[in-house]
Amino acid sequence: MNQDLGAPAVLAEALVKHYDGREGTVEAVRGVDLQIRTGEIFGFLGPNGAGKSTTVRMLTTLLTITSGRAEVAGVDVIDDPDGARRRIGVALQEAGLDPRQTGRELLNLHGRLFGLGATEAKERAEELLALVELEDAADRVIKGYSGGMQRRLDLAAALVHEPEVLFLDEPTTGLDPASRLTIWGELRRINGNGTTIFLTTQYLEEADQLCDRLAIIDDGLIVRQGTPSQLKADLRERRGDGEVTLDDVFLDATGRTRERAAGEVQEVAA
Amino acid sequence: MSATLALGRRSLREALRQPDALFMTMFIPIFFLVVNTGQAAEIFPSDTTGFLEGQGYGAFQLPITLLLAASFGMAALFLVEEIEGGYFDKLRAIPVPRYSIVLGRLVAEAAKGVVISAVIVLIALPFGIDIASGPLGFLLLVALSALWGVVYAGFMQLIALKTRSAAATNSGGLIFFPLLFLTPNFVPRDLLTEPMEIAATINPVTYLMESMRSLILDDLAWSEIWQGFAVVAVLGVMMLVLSVRMIQSYD
Repeated sequence: MNQDLGAPAVLAEALVKHYDGREGTVEAVRGVDLQIRTGEIFGFLGPNGAGKSTTVRMLTTLLTITSGRAEVAGVDVIDDPDGARRRIGVALQEAGLDPRQTGRELLNLHGRLFGLGATEAKERAEELLALVELEDAADRVIKGYSGGMQRRLDLAAALVHEPEVLFLDEPTTGLDPASRLTIWGELRRINGNGTTIFLTTQYLEEADQLCDRLAIIDDGLIVRQGTPSQLKADLRERRGDGEVTLDDVFLDATGRTRERAAGEVQEVAA
Repeated sequence: MSATLALGRRSLREALRQPDALFMTMFIPIFFLVVNTGQAAEIFPSDTTGFLEGQGYGAFQLPITLLLAASFGMAALFLVEEIEGGYFDKLRAIPVPRYSIVLGRLVAEAAKGVVISAVIVLIALPFGIDIASGPLGFLLLVALSALWGVVYAGFMQLIALKTRSAAATNSGGLIFFPLLFLTPNFVPRDLLTEPMEIAATINPVTYLMESMRSLILDDLAWSEIWQGFAVVAVLGVMMLVLSVRMIQSYD
């Protein structure tokens, strides 16, 4: 889905993040520019340590921005972080959930924290449990959930307040193929309802299958940006030979060989 | 405020789901009360030991029992577990005041502290320990104990926020723990050796302990009671200011 209703859902201009450590300053993100259209599924790819998660954490107000600016759903994340938080849903790497609550309690709590009344929060929790097909496990404590169930609940928790933009940091990492397909289906359904999705992933096939456009970040800088087919076509044209996959685009963009990339980027068979 | 209360309710549910932890919180201090009283009661008979005000040595030991129980809060460990597990970031991405994330746990600690302190005092009553200051004194004693629990848990949460590590948070507890014992916990301050008396005099926990002890052994002696409340008030304000500053600048 690519509605492009005009205003960018996510805007980043010259976004920079430095960390000061004992061994000097580390430049995790060195000037990222992004413009994501409303209704898109946008993929953000890169090797480990390239700056994907740091960028997501800045855009979701979890990390201070060293310099540059960013907006989500038209709200400046530095000037109005609470306004930005009201408009975004966040599911970070490794489903971050409270293991001692039940699924229903967690969704209820998030509803209340987002300002819903008691009845409204309960109704929303029921809707979301149905959406992610966790009704049967709703009253079980979360630490007993499988990895796939935790990811689905994490996704549901990110949707409690019907966000305009959903940030997902490697939502399918570590999941079996069936759970991954379930998450893909849910993401398509959520996007079909008009939610913009910003997705980081290490799985190139996931990006190819799901994303309208994608960007590749390496060493803190965006090195490629476009639709998957555009990026492949560009490389095919430059190389002048036949078959080009997103793997080839990734390797070309990050200057890696297949051997070096092993373990950093993976292909998955869905 | 509603976010703080919602998060406080969550923390209480969490505590109720771990009854074994609540049991240990009470068992270890009561164990020390029984052992210490059993070992020293012969040395300090109630009829010839002036500082006991006619009560048994167990009454003199009750304040350290309550302070120990209040210092066994799990808030910081649960917090650091959430930091390590990622749920803390999920909460930070919600538009609630960030201080409510740490205050919610402290609200739950206060509620737990009231219940645990009241239960320990009620368990002690049949064993000849009286609350000489009466029902109001009982309430003040429970309140002081619970407030200390909140202050202690708050400082432990600061260590959790600063270090983001369960191991470091546990070790941090070992730094604060001796404060409970650099006090006149076995005999009144004027009977301590000089170095211990100096250490006890500069340790704020001493005034809290003496305030609690006066509620158990004396009538309502306001000149001593206020000192305990002053200690928890001053330390509480310090803890709250530091907590709010730390979580606002958490990156």
